[in-house]
Amino acid sequence: MKLLLIEDEPMLLDEMEAYLIEQGYRCEKATTFAAGEDKIVLYDYDVIILDISLPGGNGLQLLQLLKKQQKEAGVLIVSAKDSLPDKLTGLNLGADDYMTKPFHLEELNARVNALVRRKSFKGNSQIQVDDLTIDPVAKTVSCNETFIPLTKKEFELLLYFIVNKNRVVSKQSIAEHLWGDHYDIVDNFDTVYVHTMNLRKKIVAHTGIDYIKTVYGMGYKFTSA
Amino acid sequence: MVAILAIAGLSLYLLLRQEVTDEINEQLELQAALIVEELNAGRTINFPLASAMEVPVSFSARKKLGDTLIYDRLQRKNEGYYYLSLTRKVKHRNYKIIVMTSYIGWQRYYQTIFFSFSAVALGITLIGVLLNYYSNHNLWKPFFLNLENLKRFSVSSPLPLQWHDSSVTEFEELQQSLKELTERSRREYLALREFTENASHELQTPLGIIQSKLDRMSQLDVDEEMAQYIVQAKSGVERLTKMNKNLLLLAKLDNDAFAEKQPLNLKELLENHLEQMSDLFEARNITLSVDASPLTIITDCYLCDVLLSNLLSNALRYTPSPGEVSVSLNHNQLIIGNPGQALDFPEQRLFSRFTKGGSHLQGTGLGLAIVRQICLLNGWIASYAYQGGVHYFTITFS
Repeated sequence: MKLLLIEDEPMLLDEMEAYLIEQGYRCEKATTFAAGEDKIVLYDYDVIILDISLPGGNGLQLLQLLKKQQKEAGVLIVSAKDSLPDKLTGLNLGADDYMTKPFHLEELNARVNALVRRKSFKGNSQIQVDDLTIDPVAKTVSCNETFIPLTKKEFELLLYFIVNKNRVVSKQSIAEHLWGDHYDIVDNFDTVYVHTMNLRKKIVAHTGIDYIKTVYGMGYKFTSA
Repeated sequence: MVAILAIAGLSLYLLLRQEVTDEINEQLELQAALIVEELNAGRTINFPLASAMEVPVSFSARKKLGDTLIYDRLQRKNEGYYYLSLTRKVKHRNYKIIVMTSYIGWQRYYQTIFFSFSAVALGITLIGVLLNYYSNHNLWKPFFLNLENLKRFSVSSPLPLQWHDSSVTEFEELQQSLKELTERSRREYLALREFTENASHELQTPLGIIQSKLDRMSQLDVDEEMAQYIVQAKSGVERLTKMNKNLLLLAKLDNDAFAEKQPLNLKELLENHLEQMSDLFEARNITLSVDASPLTIITDCYLCDVLLSNLLSNALRYTPSPGEVSVSLNHNQLIIGNPGQALDFPEQRLFSRFTKGGSHLQGTGLGLAIVRQICLLNGWIASYAYQGGVHYFTITFS
């Protein structure tokens, strides 16, 4: 999987690149409009992460260029602007997803992952972790042909953990992923705890393995070899 | 105007009457004097409408002025006459002399004056109305249009005011000063707004860097003490992020950047929110009692989303556990009631920015300010009441 990251803020870019490489993607970077333009014209990518405000031009123009060249790449816009018109413009121009800065890297990874799955398998991908089989389309989890009954939130939580496995996922990040960032849930992390514990119990009951570890007060980590 | 004319008419009538009466009297006196002269000369009396009659000496009538009716054979009707009757001694004989003269009935005078004055009044009124209309139309019209404009003026309106030119120098000067004033305030407001929006935007990226670096730190193998610091720093960044987003939203609301209105099924949206938040309420041991009837409103979907989430987040945060939150939606109102202690700040400040209860420092203090701003933008009314230990937030849709 080859990714192109177009973002003008080097510190953020490095962080994104480091995490996505960790997740097994090949990443290329561009920090200006011109550099992004060159790369888009010359090479093919599976997913392009695109910042809108770039030195030398607007990211949306790159998006138009990309569509004109009929490239297959999935496009995820990351913007400092949390505005609906921008989002709609982006999506209308053919972007697949839109995120507002600041974001959690786990969320970025989950979105990239979903995009890759949608693009490459037309959505028919199943994720296998040891004996666990996760079907993101049917939203089901099974262990050796036995379905594990999960609530909608528990399923989303599990998928989030698995996509970001071996990484400490913070409660904030989970809360935003599950409930969106509209709600003020800073003082409601108990709910994250409850969901995580329920999920943990169900998984342990079916597989006998405790994949989800608590990391001090920081969050949780899904570990698998 | 009419009163002045009426008074003028009346006094003219009275003056005229006085004048004519005096004149008639004089004429009659003169006639009587002529008759006396004739009698003195021993001639017979041959005046029209006059008679002299010898009366006994003892008969002495006072000089009398009056009017009478005499049948006019030519016109075949009674005509009014003035008469003067007096007795005079001429050559030791006593005569009673009566002289008469016709007069136009006062009624006729009165009518003539009335009609001519009425005609004048009507004419003046008509001309006045026409003049008024003309001057209103041409002289005052720009003034009133500008006044109307000014009343509707808001520094946050997207377009500068359209002024209507006037041919009156004073109005022109007034308009010029107002133009400068409004444009200056608009410019300053725009600069301020742009600053707020830019500042908020510029903050997003550094916040993103801090957040990602903190995330990175939490991946490292750190001890419990370090972990705590990281968590605290993260929670600070989280709050800052939220506050920044809310400020940006407020700046945009001031900006009136949400013109895309469309019909929205409020009941459905409300139910979505409640479903999405159900486990959050559950986790805090808060039960929800919902009574929603279908309601469709025309609004911006995104803003309505924000409105509902802010109100519900508010209820979630400030309801003591365990408790019950009531949500009801009827044909034009959304009412959310949550139990809780009375406010520890003045009620008027509830919807102001950065107002929050002393015991809850986690909130941004912007949620209800955003609610109010969204309502303002849509012409809705956001109100608050505290009754029987329950805080009621009511949104009245127009």
